[in-house]
Amino acid sequence: MDTMMIEVSDVTKSFGATRALDGVSFAVPRGTVLGLLGHNGAGKTTVVGILSTLSLPTSGEARVAGLDVTRNAEEVRRRIGLTGQYAAVDETLSGHANLVLIARLLGASRAQAAARAEELLELFSLTDAAPRKVKGYSGGMRRRLDLAAGLVGQPEVIFLDEPTTGLDPSARRDLWSVVKRLVHNGTTVLLTTQYLDEADFLADSITVLSSGRVIASGTAAELKDRVGHRSVSVTLRDAQDRPRAVRALEAAGLAPAHEQDGLVLTMPVKDSTDLAGVVRASDEAGVELAGLAFSEPSLDDVYMALNHSGAH
Amino acid sequence: MTTTTSPPALTKAPAHPPSPRFSGSGVLRQITVLSGRSLRVLREPAMVLPGVLEPILMLTVFSQVFKSVSQTSSFPPGVSYIDYLLPAFLVTSSISAGLKSGVALTTEMNNGIVSRFKAMPIHTGSVLVGRSIADTMLNVVNLIVMLAAATLVFGYGPEGGVLGSLGAALIAVVLGWSLGWLFMALSAWLRRPESLQPIGGMVNMVLLFASNAFVPADGLPGWLKAVAEVNPMSHAITAARDLALGDPDPGTILATLLCCLVLVVVTVPLAIRSFRRAT
Ligand SMILES: Nc1ncnc2c1ncn2[C@@H]1O[C@H](COP(=O)(O)OP(=O)(O)OP(=O)(O)O)[C@@H](O)[C@H]1O
Ligand SMILES: [Mg+2]
Repeated sequence: MDTMMIEVSDVTKSFGATRALDGVSFAVPRGTVLGLLGHNGAGKTTVVGILSTLSLPTSGEARVAGLDVTRNAEEVRRRIGLTGQYAAVDETLSGHANLVLIARLLGASRAQAAARAEELLELFSLTDAAPRKVKGYSGGMRRRLDLAAGLVGQPEVIFLDEPTTGLDPSARRDLWSVVKRLVHNGTTVLLTTQYLDEADFLADSITVLSSGRVIASGTAAELKDRVGHRSVSVTLRDAQDRPRAVRALEAAGLAPAHEQDGLVLTMPVKDSTDLAGVVRASDEAGVELAGLAFSEPSLDDVYMALNHSGAH
Repeated sequence: MTTTTSPPALTKAPAHPPSPRFSGSGVLRQITVLSGRSLRVLREPAMVLPGVLEPILMLTVFSQVFKSVSQTSSFPPGVSYIDYLLPAFLVTSSISAGLKSGVALTTEMNNGIVSRFKAMPIHTGSVLVGRSIADTMLNVVNLIVMLAAATLVFGYGPEGGVLGSLGAALIAVVLGWSLGWLFMALSAWLRRPESLQPIGGMVNMVLLFASNAFVPADGLPGWLKAVAEVNPMSHAITAARDLALGDPDPGTILATLLCCLVLVVVTVPLAIRSFRRAT
């Protein structure tokens, strides 16, 4: 039951001489999140625009819920929710009125529209601000309202173009949990982001775009494996212990490195099970530890590595 | 670097995919909801006041500064200047109202809200029709306030009476409505916010000068005369003035309405097509 809710095959898009997309392909199974990663100008918004029927591909094919976005645009629109990169709400209306407007346009009765608006305002912690004009909202509040507006119709497929840009950390966390809940209920999500931790946390699969081409795709773990440096760092309580600690760790087959006069020793490991070995070696040498951390390569590392190799 | 796409295995069994919560709306609902949105400004005096005050200010200036015009020999005898001036004001105010439709559309096309509507299952024409209706109603309110102020403050009271003045206002409203479509078509076609103002201003100038606003159409060179004769503005100013002054000419009125109608019939499909066009 691997139904693909989004299928993009060999899509190109040109704006005059600019080739914004150059043969992009990917697919998103139902009920999963695809993270579209890329730096400025990589083509993320262009992909979202094509999938949400706002623009036409120059060549190639794109389907949403099995429907061709060019030929069945009308049907596609019934199934999608879009939250674009820039907040698209009516500043002259209140937050509540904005959501009611969308619900009414989607066919809700007055009562249904009001109920749906309140539900979403609550979900995005905007209940207090609901009666106020959007003009007076902060950037983050606008963003949240914009996200709510994309969810009014309870769409099957949701496009979020840099949804957490401009949100504070707690609002980001809130949004993440909303996305998790939607996906848990079977919604399919495509989100673009420049935040690597966001893709790592939310996305089942990641597609990395660079200059309109897909330079890598896979799960966060797969991408990390490709770069492949995991490490353990220990923080010593006493700098005097350092020579002893280094000797003990080297004896255990590890290669600790440290900064001049540093309390922290860092060593590459294969996986998190090597943590035990580090602790044992330190313990047997009678070295007291103030801290211990296992770190995976960040997606930042992955992204840099891929972009370097994919740049030409 | 080349990589192969491997869709991730489904770790969770998704529940039933959500089905759309609402069943979709008809065009009529879309239009009323969208025009209602634009009409909300009526609830805010601060938003409406400038639109009302500006023509009143202009009236004050004109009626004081150009009073002497009514003493010249070419001026219709026995007509007070304010009675002569106001119908033209109704018309020019309506032109501004039409231009405002286009500018507002451009603004919304560029702030993203139009993209939101376009990605929704609604008829794209509804967005334009809703705006047209709302702006036309706002213009009606504006003109009524203008007439009331002119009557109470400046002693406006032409031969045609209340009915004549309302008739003149109606002509102006129809003209504003048709020009609203012209400017929305331009706006949808140009898209860029910086180009509508100058181009709109230019269209405005052509409409104004290639008309009988300043000189009788007979006095214009051939091609300009041709333009002036199909220019709804020429007919509108004459028709509105005659109505207000109590000397209506059915031919002019009909010609005005016909010109406006032709303009609408031509520009509505153009506006909707340019507006809907995906990039
Ligand atoms: N309407 C347009 N006309 C001309 N060029 C365009 C247009 N839209 C996008 N482009 C170009 O296409 C390329 C991709 O743009 P896109 O907006 O998709 O990037 P993005 O990944 O969303 O970037 P960002 O992170 O800055 O939002 C850029 O080079 C951009 O200049
Ligand atoms: Mg973008």
